[in-house]
Amino acid sequence: MSRILCIDDEPAILRLLAVVLEADGHEAVTATSAREALAIAARDDISAVLLDLGLPDRDGLELIAALRTVRAVPILVISARSDVSEKVTALDLGASDYITKPFDGEEVRARLRAALRQSAGSHPSGGQLHYGTVRMNPERHEADVAGRQLSLTPKEYAVLLALVEAGGRILTHTALLERVWGKAHRGDVEYLRVAIRALRLKIEDDPARPQIIRNEPGVGYRLS
Amino acid sequence: MKRNIAPWLEAFLAVAAITWLTATLLPILGLASSALLFLLPVLMAAVRGGVGPGLFAALAGAAGYNFFLLEPRYTFRVHEFDNLISVVVLVAVALVTSRLASRLMQREAEAQERARLSAESADVSNLLAGHPSQTALARAIDLIESRYGRLLLPTNGAMPDDRAAFSSLDLAAAAWAAHNGDITGHASEVMPAADWTFLPLAPKYRRDGGVAALARPMDGTTRSSGQIEHLRQLSLLLGQGLDRQELETERRERELLEQRDHLRRTFLDSLAHDFRTPLTVISGRLSELAQQHPDARDALAAAQRLDRMMNDLIGAARIEGGSLAPHLESIDLIDVVSSTCDDLQIPAQNTLKRNVAADLPFVIADPILLRHVLSNLIDNAFRHAENTVTISAHGAGECVLLEVADDGPGVPPSEQTRIFERFARAEGSDRTDGSGLGLAIVKGFADAMAMSVTVENMDEGGARFVLAIPLAAKAVE
Repeated sequence: MSRILCIDDEPAILRLLAVVLEADGHEAVTATSAREALAIAARDDISAVLLDLGLPDRDGLELIAALRTVRAVPILVISARSDVSEKVTALDLGASDYITKPFDGEEVRARLRAALRQSAGSHPSGGQLHYGTVRMNPERHEADVAGRQLSLTPKEYAVLLALVEAGGRILTHTALLERVWGKAHRGDVEYLRVAIRALRLKIEDDPARPQIIRNEPGVGYRLS
Repeated sequence: MKRNIAPWLEAFLAVAAITWLTATLLPILGLASSALLFLLPVLMAAVRGGVGPGLFAALAGAAGYNFFLLEPRYTFRVHEFDNLISVVVLVAVALVTSRLASRLMQREAEAQERARLSAESADVSNLLAGHPSQTALARAIDLIESRYGRLLLPTNGAMPDDRAAFSSLDLAAAAWAAHNGDITGHASEVMPAADWTFLPLAPKYRRDGGVAALARPMDGTTRSSGQIEHLRQLSLLLGQGLDRQELETERRERELLEQRDHLRRTFLDSLAHDFRTPLTVISGRLSELAQQHPDARDALAAAQRLDRMMNDLIGAARIEGGSLAPHLESIDLIDVVSSTCDDLQIPAQNTLKRNVAADLPFVIADPILLRHVLSNLIDNAFRHAENTVTISAHGAGECVLLEVADDGPGVPPSEQTRIFERFARAEGSDRTDGSGLGLAIVKGFADAMAMSVTVENMDEGGARFVLAIPLAAKAVE
């Protein structure tokens, strides 16, 4: 059982989140303001944070940075706004994932499971990383999907490695571009499209219906 | 013409004085020195009065020298050839000196005029640099009018507005100036008989400049070419002032528009936020409830439909308000199609077929808007399909055609344009579960992304919506 800090200024949402989390055996610790949330994060042993960005006393985006200095736990943003740029900013600031209101209880539980699994960081020994059916050995520059060895270009390898290391967490287009191509190319989204398409041709069973590398339009890519 | 007699009088008096002096002191000075002294009034008169007074002083001096100093004195007879030479020298000195002096004076006058015109240009420039630009322009016009007469500028278009002030010749001259960028009308080479001078407000290479009109001088004189050239420079300065005023007006209008857009966006965002919070509670509770009580699923589906309707309403408001600013980027259609289809709740009796190849060229679109468009097209197709909805895509020239087809009754030809209007429903349709905005949003968003959307009936029955999405520039390896 994990303690999950839920931050929202709407008590009805907090009660709903408590019910949703209970179904997976988690305990919800609730806060209705940023000040209260920071106090709880500093005091209590929590495993993850569910954060609504629209708080009365502080900008939700600022709170992400503040929470990360207090405790290194996954932060899942819950947002009722349609603005994609806010989600991208939240992810670039270190949020693990975002969920849009109105959300589905099952979706919240699934995203939380993925975030908790990734934060547990249980990687097999021997320098190997894996997520889902993808296994990578950066030291030997090897990668395989369901045991099938892949032949990847350095850029394709770097993109896949970034996604595997993120462990199901969404990586924004900018974050991927900066990491693989460098800061000068943070706007060249076409580089990323070309690499992702080439990767899908090599790792997906049906590249026209990608099941491993998923895209969130306007936001970024994640492994599933 | 009024003649200034002062230099002539001065020349006469100077000659008289020198004559008296030399005649009195002749025994001391001697004839040669006395003759030299006569150069003084000639030089003085030539420098101060120019050729006329100089020559007058020379002739008067020669006469005085001859009459009062040369033997036989008090007669004009000349006895010796040397004395005749003295007279000729005096005249020559007068001529040369006066020419030199008058040239110097002319140059000085020209330099002073140039300095005056430069100062005037600088004054106009300084006035035009003032703020706000409208007042600055009015002040510059006042300054020019106070020195050169009535000046008219265009406020909208190329020609000054006060058409009643112009004769047909003036209008022809104005049109010529606006079209060719030449100075025309009074004191110019083109249609000089006109009453106004038309001065281009922009350099000749610019085709969009208007013309200023300057009335001819009230005293009936004709302006010099130098003055016209100076006025052209002033009119170019005024043209810059007009450009600045126009830019400032555009900037103010843009700022107002941006403020209004920002307000509208903020309002829509907070509306969406306020709507979604209770909806989250309702659908969240219903979702938990539906796990134990399947009857609650209908209520859950209704809540989810409410959210879609809200999204459509916000989309419609953004289209209506003109605050739609698509973020166009290179995208892989597979990403948008997969993400849209993965989130779909397909009705139990229906099937969704996907026929989108993985190697289509990249396209240019706003991924969020395109997803909304595709989602609405699929939603619409499911509401009319008997069994199957098919999504397919294929390249066609400069576009990729994304098609959503159903096997329903199709769209009557008369409805095929109207169907994209707000709250339009196909005639005879008894379906009421849509917002009536879905296809209007498809059209509005497609227009904003420079895409075209059409609907056609298929031979095998059913309707097919076709979205033509422009290709991205060639992918960089």
